[in-house]
Amino acid sequence: MPVVEADVSSEIDLGPVDQLIDKYRQQRWGLLPLLQDVQGLYGYIPPRAIPRIASGLGLFPSQVQGVISFYALFYTSPRGKNVVRVCRGTACHVRGGKTILKLVKNELGIEEGETTADFEYTLETVACIGICALAPNMVINNTTYGQMNPRKVARLLNRKDR
Amino acid sequence: MEAITITLNGVEVSGYPGMTILDLARESGVEIPTLCHDPHLAPSGACRLCLVEEEHSTGLLPSCITTLRPGMVVHTHSPRVKEHRKTIIQLMLASHPDTCMVCDKGNHCELRALASEMGIGLVGFKKIPQLAMIEEVNPFLQRDLSKCILCARCIRADQELVVEGAIDYAGRGFTSKPATLNNVPMEKSECTFCGTCVALCPTGALMEREKPFHGTSASTVDTICPFCGCGCGIRLEVKDNRIVCVRPDMSSPVNKGALCIKGSYGYDFVHSPDRLTTPLFKVNGSFQKISWEQAIDRIASELKRIKAEHGTDSLAVFGSSRCTNEENYLLQRFARIALGTNNIDNGSRMHSSSSRVGLGWAIGSCVTTGSLDELEQSEVIVVIGANPVVSAPAVGYALKRAVRFKGARLLLIDPRQTGLSHFAHLWLRPRIGTDVALLNGIARVIIDERLFDEEFVSRKTENFAELARSLKTYTAERVTKLTGVPGQDVQLAARLFARAERASIVYGNGVTQQVTGTDAVMAMANLAMLTGKIGNRGNGIFALQRESNAQGACDMGSLPDFLPGYQCLDDAKARKTFEERWGNHLPDNAGLTAWEMIGQAEAGNIKGMFIVEENPVSGFPSPELVRKALSSLQFLVVADMFLTETAKLATLVLPASSFAEKEGSFTNFEGRVQSVCKAIEPLGDSLPEWEIIRRLSSQMGYPVPYSSPQQIKEEIEEIAPLYQRMEYADLEADERGPASLRTNHSRGKRLYGGPFPSGFERFSAVEFVPPDESEDGYPLTLLSGSVLLHAGDGTISSQSWRLRKQSPHAWVEINETDAKDLGFNDGDAVRMVSPAGSVSTIIRVASTLPPRTLFMPVSFQDCPVNGLFDVALDPRSKSPSLKRCSVRLERIDAGG
Repeated sequence: MPVVEADVSSEIDLGPVDQLIDKYRQQRWGLLPLLQDVQGLYGYIPPRAIPRIASGLGLFPSQVQGVISFYALFYTSPRGKNVVRVCRGTACHVRGGKTILKLVKNELGIEEGETTADFEYTLETVACIGICALAPNMVINNTTYGQMNPRKVARLLNRKDR
Repeated sequence: MEAITITLNGVEVSGYPGMTILDLARESGVEIPTLCHDPHLAPSGACRLCLVEEEHSTGLLPSCITTLRPGMVVHTHSPRVKEHRKTIIQLMLASHPDTCMVCDKGNHCELRALASEMGIGLVGFKKIPQLAMIEEVNPFLQRDLSKCILCARCIRADQELVVEGAIDYAGRGFTSKPATLNNVPMEKSECTFCGTCVALCPTGALMEREKPFHGTSASTVDTICPFCGCGCGIRLEVKDNRIVCVRPDMSSPVNKGALCIKGSYGYDFVHSPDRLTTPLFKVNGSFQKISWEQAIDRIASELKRIKAEHGTDSLAVFGSSRCTNEENYLLQRFARIALGTNNIDNGSRMHSSSSRVGLGWAIGSCVTTGSLDELEQSEVIVVIGANPVVSAPAVGYALKRAVRFKGARLLLIDPRQTGLSHFAHLWLRPRIGTDVALLNGIARVIIDERLFDEEFVSRKTENFAELARSLKTYTAERVTKLTGVPGQDVQLAARLFARAERASIVYGNGVTQQVTGTDAVMAMANLAMLTGKIGNRGNGIFALQRESNAQGACDMGSLPDFLPGYQCLDDAKARKTFEERWGNHLPDNAGLTAWEMIGQAEAGNIKGMFIVEENPVSGFPSPELVRKALSSLQFLVVADMFLTETAKLATLVLPASSFAEKEGSFTNFEGRVQSVCKAIEPLGDSLPEWEIIRRLSSQMGYPVPYSSPQQIKEEIEEIAPLYQRMEYADLEADERGPASLRTNHSRGKRLYGGPFPSGFERFSAVEFVPPDESEDGYPLTLLSGSVLLHAGDGTISSQSWRLRKQSPHAWVEINETDAKDLGFNDGDAVRMVSPAGSVSTIIRVASTLPPRTLFMPVSFQDCPVNGLFDVALDPRSKSPSLKRCSVRLERIDAGG
């Protein structure tokens, strides 16, 4: 996870963050649940919210950034409505997971870790999702799709009703 | 507490519970290598070099974070341990650039030292290439994270010592590095360039930039920082009679391993090309070099002539809050004996004499009553009229540490938002100049709610009834009306302060430079006495000092109304002691204070003046009046390091040596007397002031029997109360035991004079005097104050070119709303006009100020804020008001 990048959405209203902070005010242990709450609200943690979160809990902004950048589950830039995770575990790899990833990249026109310009899709990879019998696998939001092939990829990513 | 015994390398040793293996090993003389450990920082166990083998544990234990358990059998240098350590160093070297040849860290590099100690030559691992990533453009420090070994000393120094929080780790695994918020360069982050991280970095990852001189130091000298009244210990690294580097003195009880930007990087003033190196004599309006003999001869004959023609009281001496105790002692002896006048004063008159007078009156001690360590132990700390984060950084650090790590609650009383506001539990923003009303309001709540310490009040104080009577009028409604602080907050503040077990009050120039400064100091003393929060551990009143030896200059009797050790001029016994010692008669009448000297000079009653390292033209109100007065003197001698605005008016200017070129002692704001040690020879023909005064005194026919500052010190310790060896009350010594006493004997002891000999402290009824209403046509109120990059009136800090480069010009801060109303933008050129004068500067829009209020730093020579102030003296301390005045802003158009 790279260091927090510049905030792309400076017009976001950060008012609701203060309400979330109130639950944990001056309690340092509350940092992780608070970050999850903030991410739950915005879909990511707006970097501009970091100083507010820090002063609300009695921490330094740099410390909050340190925690955010440590955990893979926190994001500091907006993500797509749909998160596509392609598995690159061993079983998927031997059954062509790499190609599946390439296909998804081509289909969406983005690289790993990126989000499409229309904020529809974010592409990520995972190390293993535990259903190696169905390899190669892919997860879209909370639904798992096994035995992927090029046709299936195209069909799944072109569905408009998601 | 039961001792724990362990076996360390086959020898039984004992430590106390909670002690780590590393601490015990070091105490027992066993050296365990470390890279991330520092006694001032919380142990983190990051570098793993301190691993030791313990027979009952299977794995190796990091000794810096493993506490003692009974029966441990520890091997610190077994083959297994040594192999591990070697591998760790090799791994570090594998990802470290091979730039040792050209790395400026040189022999200070701890990584290189350990590698060579362990006999590591070529690293057997494949190297991970690291590209240098130097990015900073500030003149103070640079980061090259390719040399970072992730010990986190910088991060811990930043968060635990300085409590700034500019950096922390970001990322995970291989990408993990110390980073600022949003990974911006240091100069765009919260970093204050205190240099503490640079001093602690074990490798060349953090380095000082743009040093005046390069090279490895040949020797080091521990001395005291000359910038503010904190008295931080610094270590000068010297090569070829030049200071090449300044580091914090790690053993100093004041700064505890930290420094500020001035202490770390401001030292280049010592080698400023503008330093005076020969005596200068003014002939037809221009200065010409003369020899010391001619200069001393000339001064002596002129002073003798004036003394003979106009009497002794036509001479005056303005001595120095920047000179050592020994020099001040000698200077007042010179004034009183050789010149025969009590017309002697020092620069602290401009910023802290109301503190001296107020505290002296109330508690009988002109000194801060506790040490910084004790301040850090307070539960509640009131900070009023002070921004120690910039004006006394070591105190600022201690306050922030107390709040962040020791659970102290900060009660901040300041109209302006400062670096402490974020740390405040309760922040009151009274109207400017209404401190006395607010303090009285708090005192009344304490009495009304019977929160005061009845036992302390009845046993240790007098005058309580009068105080209680005088507070009757300070009802909640009236206080709110006067100060603008809600009654509820006043009540909260009173309860917070009175109910705390241990509480302290810290104040600074925001109080003492007001016309009602002495009153406010007394009102604060009232609060402390009411609640019994004075004179014991964790309680006390802390008066910040602006100059390095403002406290010492007063202690030494560079005052018109006191002999050394604050002995009254009319005290027959004290007079006798000094007269016998000095072999001459002392003048009886009280002398003139600094401002009175200027007045009398203008009136023609003072004919000759000797000014030592003070700069009244830049520090006093009405500089034009000061200039006129000093120009009208028949004879003015100035001894200084630089040709200051004041020195330019002199007939004769003597080149003085800097702090690094002399021996002596400074007394810091806590009353700690600390040794100033000579690191380099005086530059050019400059001389330390004590030598100048000694020569002058001999030439005047009053030779003094000292040939070194040490001899002067011995005399001080013999006859000046407070400084007498037997009266030293070293409060920390009790706690830290005789070991620290032994090693710390030169580190300075604290003086504590009070309370009165009678044992009683004195309440005083102080009435609120409303500040002058703003005059027609001057709708805004200007607050003056300190900034981090400069010290005091800027005479010294403006000579440090790195500080000047980073902060070259003054500015005026204005509230966002006012800026919009008046149509000003950031960077607009404006003229600020007060009834007394005007200055030109630029606008900086800030959200830190209350409405209709401006802030301007005092330390810029090209923008003399003091010129805006009219002369208004505090009636008790005779110090002029230099804090607030009414002004208006005028736009300067680009065309002119």
